[in-house]
Amino acid sequence: MTADSGLPAPQQQQPPGDEPPAQPVIATTSLTKRFGTLVTALDGLTMAVGPGITGLVGANGAGKSTLIKILLGLLAPTSGQASVLGCDTASQAERIRGLTGYMPEHDCLPPDVTATEFVTHMGRMSGVPPTAAKERAAESLRHVGLYEERYRQIGTYSTGMKQRVKLAQALVGDPRLLLLDEPTNGLDPAGRTAMLDLISRIGGDFGISVVVASHLLGEIEQICDHLIAIDGGRLLRAATISSFTQASQVLAIEVDEGIDLLAAELGRRGLDPVLHERELLVQLAGEETFDAVRDAVADLGLPLNRMEQRRHRVEELFRAAPEHAARAMGAADGQ
Amino acid sequence: MASDSAALGGVIHDIGYQHYEGPRLGRLQITRALCWHSLRSAFGLGRGVKAKIVPVLTFVIMCAPAVINAVAMALHPAGGRIINYDTYVNSLRVLVMLVFIAAQAPELVARDLRSKVLPLYFARPIRRSDYPAAKYAAFVLACLAMIDIPVLLLYIGTIMQVHGGSAIWAQTRAAIPGLLVGLMWAVLLAAVGLVLACVSGRRAFSTGAVAIFLFMTFTLAHVLTAITESTGPGGPGGPGGPGGPGGPGAGTSTAAHLFGLISPYTVLDGVRQWLGGTNPGIVGNPGSYGVAYGIMLLVFLGLSLAGLFLRYAKVDLG
Repeated sequence: MTADSGLPAPQQQQPPGDEPPAQPVIATTSLTKRFGTLVTALDGLTMAVGPGITGLVGANGAGKSTLIKILLGLLAPTSGQASVLGCDTASQAERIRGLTGYMPEHDCLPPDVTATEFVTHMGRMSGVPPTAAKERAAESLRHVGLYEERYRQIGTYSTGMKQRVKLAQALVGDPRLLLLDEPTNGLDPAGRTAMLDLISRIGGDFGISVVVASHLLGEIEQICDHLIAIDGGRLLRAATISSFTQASQVLAIEVDEGIDLLAAELGRRGLDPVLHERELLVQLAGEETFDAVRDAVADLGLPLNRMEQRRHRVEELFRAAPEHAARAMGAADGQ
Repeated sequence: MASDSAALGGVIHDIGYQHYEGPRLGRLQITRALCWHSLRSAFGLGRGVKAKIVPVLTFVIMCAPAVINAVAMALHPAGGRIINYDTYVNSLRVLVMLVFIAAQAPELVARDLRSKVLPLYFARPIRRSDYPAAKYAAFVLACLAMIDIPVLLLYIGTIMQVHGGSAIWAQTRAAIPGLLVGLMWAVLLAAVGLVLACVSGRRAFSTGAVAIFLFMTFTLAHVLTAITESTGPGGPGGPGGPGGPGGPGAGTSTAAHLFGLISPYTVLDGVRQWLGGTNPGIVGNPGSYGVAYGIMLLVFLGLSLAGLFLRYAKVDLG
């Protein structure tokens, strides 16, 4: 039960990228899911996911959760096929669920049991025999960074600890694939970083393929090898991470007063600023953008409050033309 | 310990991730594990002290008549057994099972609904129907333990005081139908209890639903039967001759028999008598209406189980 039980350390590492794309971890063909006649969650989605960490990005309602549920065989697609680890979701769902760990987006933990008891039970439900389930539960909780706290009732945990328990229960059955739905939801910045590090370790050191669904591109691009962007149930783009990071960025400027003057001044300097709430957003071209903004603020003698570099949200990256990206970002923030 | 040094911010020796190479159990064994887990939680085992209060208390109260019988027989060996195997102490059994089911059926189903843990179960290698099946099997066993362990205690307490093989054989033959009646109670009441308990994830609501249904139907059946019986036997042209094969139910009116079909409790007792139980119970002998009681039992059971399985086939996975 102790953390350091003197086990050997076979590094079963599968460096992603070295592996030839022989068999995709996940493959879908014209996958469509409609709820009634009005809602189309997935619309002819065809894509493939290889080993390693893959980010599944899209705005809320883009169909990420629906896709995950279809992959687990929890929902039947209206049409099209999907396969996970070479198994068909329609006919071999139980086998898929035996090989896959799932971390849902929402709260799913009973408050009145300890993390150890809960994860052990979920290990049993994954088909691990009693004694092994206890060992795996202790190990999973240690891997996610819960030590003495694991003997406390889950109801007393912080959001960050609960997210760790949710990850531990997905990990307890030693899956070959992890499906994580918005794993950083509700976490503070430090908690987000810790969770992302953990996912990065699972995908790297543990040799488990991971699919991370998120609406925050800036977050998961730090850890993913590949990105798949979906919108309105359709594939927007699937690519390696490097091609995504070249995407343009914006600079947010906040001044205490004279925001209209600044907007006019920036316009004169050819920056096309967009007013969003109490900030001005300008397209970030490079160092010269910073200089231009600095000079504009200094010339007007305005009290500069904040100047922040931001990445676009997923939806603007794909939907909007580059010159309108800042405008689109303003609209998205205003939602 | 590694955890201590980690808590102090020290560097722990990372032993790396271990893959699980051992055996993996199939769907059937996972369902069985869930059943066992649920059976334990029906008695508050593996939970805190608070969770054990109701099941332990109800169990002790249920066993009390058997203990009293054993003491009475030890003091007056000639007196014989004072409690019947098949009816036990009817009013006590009705009340105690009501409390037990109202308190513990939500423990099995409402907790998981409340904490939205179901997607985690259904993301594992079991099917939708395996979950309610495991819960139902567990609750039947729990109710069976509540009803039949006291009957077994009654039997043991009795045979310790009787002498001779034939006397023991006579007790055994009398006890077996009693145990089967207990099984019938458990099979029906567990289904009714669970389907009512899973209407809501809020514990108070599901306990209320079970308690109100069982209590109201029983009271209604009891009161209406009593009223129609006191206003005079022989209903208005009872079809098929309500008297039946004589016995205690001979004077009961048609209306009284029909009112007995309202409550699962009275249906169970009617079926017991229809199947040959002669001891007076909570309803009069249904006589020729016995078939109606039998059908009603199947209707109650069928509707409850259909509702239970449908509930989980349609459950929202968030």
